[in-house]
Amino acid sequence: MATLNNLPETQPEATPQQAPERVLAPDIKPIPKGQSLLHRTVLTVYRVFAILALYAVLIGIVSYAFIMGFYAVNTTWAAPVILSDSDEKSLDFLEKLVTSRQTLEDLKVDVTRQQSSLSEMTKHRGSLISLDPELQHAIDRERAHDKVTGPELVTLDSQKIKDNTTTQQVLQELEQTEAQIRKDLAAGLITKADADTQLAALNQSRDAYTDSKIAEVLLTDTVLDKTTRGTKSLDVLEKQAELRSEIAQIDVAINIAAKQLEEDNRQVERLRDAIATAKQSPYYLNANGSKRLYFGFVPYDNQADAKVGAPIYDCYLNVILCRKVGIVKQIFLGEQIVTHPIFKTQVRGLTIQMDLSHPESAKSKTVFLGHKPLLF
Amino acid sequence: MAPVLLWLVMLLCLLISVVKYLMGIILKWSFPSANIRKDYSLQPTVSVLLPCYNEGKTVYETIESISRSNYPNHLFEVIAQDDCSVDDSYRWIQKAQQDFTNIRIRSGRNPVNCGKARTVCNALQHSTSEIIISIDSDCIFHPNAIRELTACFSEPNLGSVGGRVGVRNPNDGIVTTIQTIIYYTAFQLYKIPENWTRSICCISGCLFAIRRQLLLEIEPAIRARNWFGIPVNQGEDRFLTHQTLLRGYGTYIDNDALCWTTVPNTLSVLFKQQLRWRRSIVRDLFYTLRTLPRHVFKLHPNTVFHLVLIPLGAIVALLVVLTMLFTDPLAWVSPTPLIGYLGVAAIFTWVISKYSVKETLSHPLAFGAYVGWSLVSVLFLTPLALCTMDSADWGTRAKSQQEVELGNPQ
Repeated sequence: MATLNNLPETQPEATPQQAPERVLAPDIKPIPKGQSLLHRTVLTVYRVFAILALYAVLIGIVSYAFIMGFYAVNTTWAAPVILSDSDEKSLDFLEKLVTSRQTLEDLKVDVTRQQSSLSEMTKHRGSLISLDPELQHAIDRERAHDKVTGPELVTLDSQKIKDNTTTQQVLQELEQTEAQIRKDLAAGLITKADADTQLAALNQSRDAYTDSKIAEVLLTDTVLDKTTRGTKSLDVLEKQAELRSEIAQIDVAINIAAKQLEEDNRQVERLRDAIATAKQSPYYLNANGSKRLYFGFVPYDNQADAKVGAPIYDCYLNVILCRKVGIVKQIFLGEQIVTHPIFKTQVRGLTIQMDLSHPESAKSKTVFLGHKPLLF
Repeated sequence: MAPVLLWLVMLLCLLISVVKYLMGIILKWSFPSANIRKDYSLQPTVSVLLPCYNEGKTVYETIESISRSNYPNHLFEVIAQDDCSVDDSYRWIQKAQQDFTNIRIRSGRNPVNCGKARTVCNALQHSTSEIIISIDSDCIFHPNAIRELTACFSEPNLGSVGGRVGVRNPNDGIVTTIQTIIYYTAFQLYKIPENWTRSICCISGCLFAIRRQLLLEIEPAIRARNWFGIPVNQGEDRFLTHQTLLRGYGTYIDNDALCWTTVPNTLSVLFKQQLRWRRSIVRDLFYTLRTLPRHVFKLHPNTVFHLVLIPLGAIVALLVVLTMLFTDPLAWVSPTPLIGYLGVAAIFTWVISKYSVKETLSHPLAFGAYVGWSLVSVLFLTPLALCTMDSADWGTRAKSQQEVELGNPQ
């Protein structure tokens, strides 16, 4: 390994070769020998500005990192929310509330109508049900009567048939009598007037037989009615069936109406509950309150410090020199999803109502619940 | 108003990304004719200027790599100019002068430390060649590098040509892994749309070739660079490229001209380096805005686009991130950027392993850490650069004023 120490020193080129003649470009000015006053002024201003800017950048970076870290670990912050009357959510909320109320009123009318209808149906059902035993009783009574009179009529019918048979035999003998009358009239044994009288008597007998025969037939019909189920009784049974069917239909209708009424009543209760809950919403309070109300969003991570009566602090630069500006007045449990005031991410949490002694704090980016975040 | 502004900013970012990367892919794959027609028979004389400050033995290795160049040795020389290094750099230069006798090496030393830009100008005084190649003293050069660069000058209107800078230490750690992918994408995609119209806005000072006459024309401007009276010696590569464009010449990156640099492997050094670069970008943006009205009609629209919009991107990105932090502070927790960067890492690791084996990454997923670095870069570098425009500190070459014992070269 050779070292360079012993190498002879090489002299630099003492005189450079003559450079060709050059012409300065129009935009090139030779460097001034001393700094001009203008340059010195500009430089001074620039250096002051640069130092300030660099310190500002440095402070900005440190502050930014601190704020990021602070809000990553702090669990007491809340974000004030100012709800205006024309706030989109408030308007939307009011619109839904009005719709709910209208639905509730409609449901109430429906319930009344259904109750009335149900009552009417129940009454009608009672009437029909009371009619059914009477009809059954009449049928039973008629059947009992037929049971008694039927056999008697059968006996009478038999007797009537026998009587008519006997009468018919007698009427056959009357034909000989009539022939004898006509012979006697022809022989002049009797007068014409006597003959007509005798023939009329014969016709009356025949007529009586015919009547008797008719009575026999009618009696047979009656016996048939009394001893068997005829169309008449079937009509009665049909009416009884119709009556029962109508009762069953009314039962179904009553059942449906009762269930509908029950459901409507439940719906009414639900709507009442919902409206009652809605009345506890900050948006309702905001829309119906006569004076300005202040609200705040509290992420779930910070929920432990959100207690009614807890003090609220507002800080300069969102962190330091904090002062008490009010207390937590009310806590609304409905979930809210808002944008994180620092990280700009979506955060879940709840809303509180703030009673602020310094209303301007409602415009702060964040406030702190319970205690000062940095003890000063 | 704020959302509209945010959307405009986002639109601008999208436009920049689309133009830079999408156009880069399209042009690279679909328009190879956009590449320059190189004439290797063109063999001008070349002076390789090597400004050096506190590089130690690395400068010896750099000269060694140049000595292996396949460019005809009689047609080029190395002019190493030491900027009053407080270590043994100058002795290493002298050692190289003795060891590599196959090429002509001349050395010089500034009377006082005056920065890289003026050191290049001082070295230029010793040169008489047609083409000047300025290089960094911590880079290793491919033997073809000089040949490739000079061949590009066959295009008569081309003023400056740069080479591709690769990473020597891709697997030193997360920091170098990130830079490897950034460097690769920058040269292989990001600069392609600029190459298309010969309007590269910043040729890396690691490997920067320029016509001698043009450099002589610009040299007074380099020496006169000042910021309200304070000499500016940073960002000379961006300034040179910009001046080339303003003078109506084209600029080009030849990805076949390779050199390898050792990138910072610690966050603090990377931060200082990036701060210096960001300062140059901001300074260049101000210069652009000041001079654009006079030059806007001479320049190609693509050049104007890249000169104005790309530097604006740094400021725009700052606004976007600030707006994002205030409107959606936890957005950066989203895994989307991480997934995006891991996807980029997966793709480019494969591409790099296929086309640049030397830079193959052993832990490509480390590129996911770019999420963190991009936040640091956007949030801190731009404001810091804007507020330290008067700083002349190079940042990454500082050493206490003491002589360092020389080691032995191989």
